[in-house]
Amino acid sequence: MLLTVARCQMRSILSSVVDVTIQRRWQRTVSGAAALAIVLASTACGSTGQDDSTTPTTPTTPTIVASMSIWADITRNVACDGLANVETIVPLGGDPHSFDASLRDRETMENAELIVANGLLLEESLNDTIEAVESAGTPVIRVAEGLETLGTSTKENQTGNDPHVWFDPIRVAATLPAIAGALADVGFDRAALDDCVDAYTAELIDLDEEVAAIVAELPADRRVLVTNHDSLGYFADRYDFEILGSVIPSSSTLAETNPAELEELAESIEMTGVGAIFVETQHSSSNAQALADRVGDVEVVTLLTGTLDEPGTEGSTYLGWLLQNAQRIVDGLS
Amino acid sequence: MEFLTDPWSWWIEPFSRNEFMRDALLAGILTVVTTSLVGTWVVLRGMSFLGDALAHGVLPGIAIAFIIGVDTSIGALAAAAAMIGGITVIRRHSPLPDDTSIGVLFVGFLALAVVIMSTQRASYTGDLNRFLFGSITGLDSSDLTRQAIAAAIAIAGVVVFYRAFLVMTFDESLARMLGLRPGLAQAALLFLLAISIVASFESVGNLLVFAFLIAPPAAASLIVKRVPMIMVVAIGFGTFATFVGLLVSYHHRSAAGASMALSSVILFFIVLALSVFRRSWADRRSRSKLKQLAQADSSAG
Repeated sequence: MLLTVARCQMRSILSSVVDVTIQRRWQRTVSGAAALAIVLASTACGSTGQDDSTTPTTPTTPTIVASMSIWADITRNVACDGLANVETIVPLGGDPHSFDASLRDRETMENAELIVANGLLLEESLNDTIEAVESAGTPVIRVAEGLETLGTSTKENQTGNDPHVWFDPIRVAATLPAIAGALADVGFDRAALDDCVDAYTAELIDLDEEVAAIVAELPADRRVLVTNHDSLGYFADRYDFEILGSVIPSSSTLAETNPAELEELAESIEMTGVGAIFVETQHSSSNAQALADRVGDVEVVTLLTGTLDEPGTEGSTYLGWLLQNAQRIVDGLS
Repeated sequence: MEFLTDPWSWWIEPFSRNEFMRDALLAGILTVVTTSLVGTWVVLRGMSFLGDALAHGVLPGIAIAFIIGVDTSIGALAAAAAMIGGITVIRRHSPLPDDTSIGVLFVGFLALAVVIMSTQRASYTGDLNRFLFGSITGLDSSDLTRQAIAAAIAIAGVVVFYRAFLVMTFDESLARMLGLRPGLAQAALLFLLAISIVASFESVGNLLVFAFLIAPPAAASLIVKRVPMIMVVAIGFGTFATFVGLLVSYHHRSAAGASMALSSVILFFIVLALSVFRRSWADRRSRSKLKQLAQADSSAG
């Protein structure tokens, strides 16, 4: 259509000598408007910095920004009793792989004292913005990068670092001192943070025991996982599951599935008799559903993998969230 | 309605408060200068489909450059050159019309990019997303430098080849007779087109750069007729669309690149509607004037 518009334009340009006076008047108005726009834009450019000091946006409690809801909750527990106001960039239910920041999010991040990100390229679409904010001077801690990480389950690519570390509560506990350290570096009270870390570490150890108890209901030969994307590696590592494969054989939800590998996976599901395929709420499960239909007698179970649940529900805190997922995994497989 | 009731905090404050907003606006304006200068010729010469194809055709080049670790701009330019070469070859050796060869290569290059992506398991898909949709929230100074260079090349190219582009647009054989070397001019125009697409990765992204290549010059050509005026007005329109798009993204948390592209297209339709309205009004006026004259004539006779 644009093509025809363009052609019509050419013709009308070639032939138009009509209406010169009105044309001129139009020219003037429009170039006036254009000039106004440019002036407007350049005044916006010109009024550099001087407002920064006159409009202080210092809230009563300092603001920390976490990339995703799970790390936000964990950070809230490191800065417990409201030491910090923790905001989240990826909204509840959003996919941390694909979420792209808006300009307002960028502002939120720049105004934060500290940014808590997962790292290991989990925040694929957000990464650029995080890096830009970091180079503009806001400190960033990438919590997963200080841990001992696992490769992705896919056989041919062991180089990738699986970013989904929060599925192991012991690894999460290991990140707490680093988060506390980063908070202390930006001016939080070290002693208060240490108390919070001690209390929350104890809770995480209890959580680990509870999850282990839930998983213990499942006989060892049933501890086989098929997932939508490679998200449960750390859960499998911690609680002795085997990962049979995933519909999207990548640690990213943004990758594509491939028919040959899907066929292979279907055969292994049939052979091992796995009862469930686990999918995530924030990503299309149509391929997983098709796989389940093809194999038959396989349930598609939804987990919350990269996000907490709405406030007021069991999965609205990290502790409840992991218990809920563990329960769903065990129920799906038994 | 805050943009009317509280204009200062809606229109100005986001820019006065945040350096990244000013950077984003600057990047947007540099993009607009480049795309408007090149896009004017694209619109006048009816090359929109080629522009669209090129904007997507650079993707496999970006993917390959990314994998082997070369600068993605170089990969993109190489892919654009390959595509233009392919179109030229098909044109020379077949009776097929240009849009067929463009279409075949367009889809071929796009599919190639997706195939290359799918063989890569590492999580770099996010980066490709960035190329498709831009990442104006993650601009750094090297991006601004790249865009400034592209704008400078576009300005220089349009100044140097102005006469050749102009004559070629309206009469190719006349261009040849005048010794303006239309082949060279055509190649230069395609090169400028590739540059403007490659330079816009960061601000609006590859899928959406087209909105800035076509909509502002098309809107400008509806209301002014001289080519330099079309360029100036297009830059004005594009700048305004960038400005509004950034503010919409800021206030409503919408994706920045798409907001800018959308406001550019909406601006085109507003201008189109106004120009249609104006033309029919002018027609009616001249018709009633004719009628008056005719009546005066008949009563006199």
